[in-house]
Amino acid sequence: MELQNKISIISLFSALTIVSFVFENFIPRPAPGIRIGLANIFILIVLISYGYREALTIGIIKSVAGSLIVGQLLSPAFIFSISGTVVSITVMFIADKYLKRLSILGISVLGAESHIITQVWLASRFFTGSGSFIYLLSPYIIISLISGIITGITSFWIYINVREKLNIAKFQT
Amino acid sequence: MRKKSRYRPLKAGDILLIIIFLSFLFFIPHKKGKNLRVKVKNKRVFLYPLNIDRELKFHGSIGTTRVIIKNGAAKIQKAPCPLKLCEKRGWISNQGEQIICIPNKIMLEIEGSNIDGITE
Repeated sequence: MELQNKISIISLFSALTIVSFVFENFIPRPAPGIRIGLANIFILIVLISYGYREALTIGIIKSVAGSLIVGQLLSPAFIFSISGTVVSITVMFIADKYLKRLSILGISVLGAESHIITQVWLASRFFTGSGSFIYLLSPYIIISLISGIITGITSFWIYINVREKLNIAKFQT
Repeated sequence: MRKKSRYRPLKAGDILLIIIFLSFLFFIPHKKGKNLRVKVKNKRVFLYPLNIDRELKFHGSIGTTRVIIKNGAAKIQKAPCPLKLCEKRGWISNQGEQIICIPNKIMLEIEGSNIDGITE
C-alpha cells in the first residue's frame, strides 16, 4: 500500500472508530462491560480489507484517543479496553486467515467473545479472587454473542456496499 | 486478491460457532448452595450449613447484625447501618450470591461444596 493511501485510510477509520467509541459511552449500560461494540464494525472492515497491522494500529489509536476523550485514560477500564482490543483483533486475524468456513458474521462473533473473555479474566484477576470468574463468564458470553451478531450483520452490510462503491480493493497490498 | 467467500452472508461455520457459544446458556450457574460463609471485619470467618434453620448475631464495627437462615436461604434481618442496603438485598440461596454490609464490615456468601478448593 502506498504511504498516502495508508495514512488516509488509517486516519479515516480511526476517526470513525473513535466517534463510535465515544458515542457508545453515551448509551447507559445495565452492567459494566455490556456494550454493542460499534467500533468493532470498522476494525473488522479494515482487517478484512487491508490487514493485521492496519487494524491493530486503528485499534490502539481508538483505545488511547477514545479513553482520552471519555476521561478514563490509564484507569482500569482503559487497561481492559486496550487488552481486549488487541486480543480480539489478533483472534479475528487468525480466524480470517485460517478458518475459511466462517463469514464476516462468524469472525465478528469470535472477536466479540474473545474481547469479553479477556476483559472478564482481567477483571477477575484484578478485582476479585479467582473463584468468581466462572459465575460472570456465562452470562457475559451470551450477551456478547448477541452484540457480536449485531456488529457482524452491520459490518457485512457496510463491507458489501463500501467495497462496491468506493472500490477499496484497488489499494490492497 | 482476497477470497470471494467473505461475500456470503451466512455459512456453516457461523451457525456452528453461534450454537457453541449459545450452549453456554446451560452453564449459567443457579445451583443451590450448601454453606453460608460469614466474614466479620475482614478477619473472622464463620461457616454455617444452610439446611439447619437458625438465627445468628454478629458484632461488626458499628453494631450487631442479625442474620436468619431458613429453608436453605439466608437473609440479614436487622442491621445498624444507615442505608439498610443489606436488608433490602433479601434472601440469598444460590451459589456465589453475596450480601455485603460495608459500614458494619460483614460479608455473607453462599458457597457450594465443589468450589471450596477454589475460593482461597
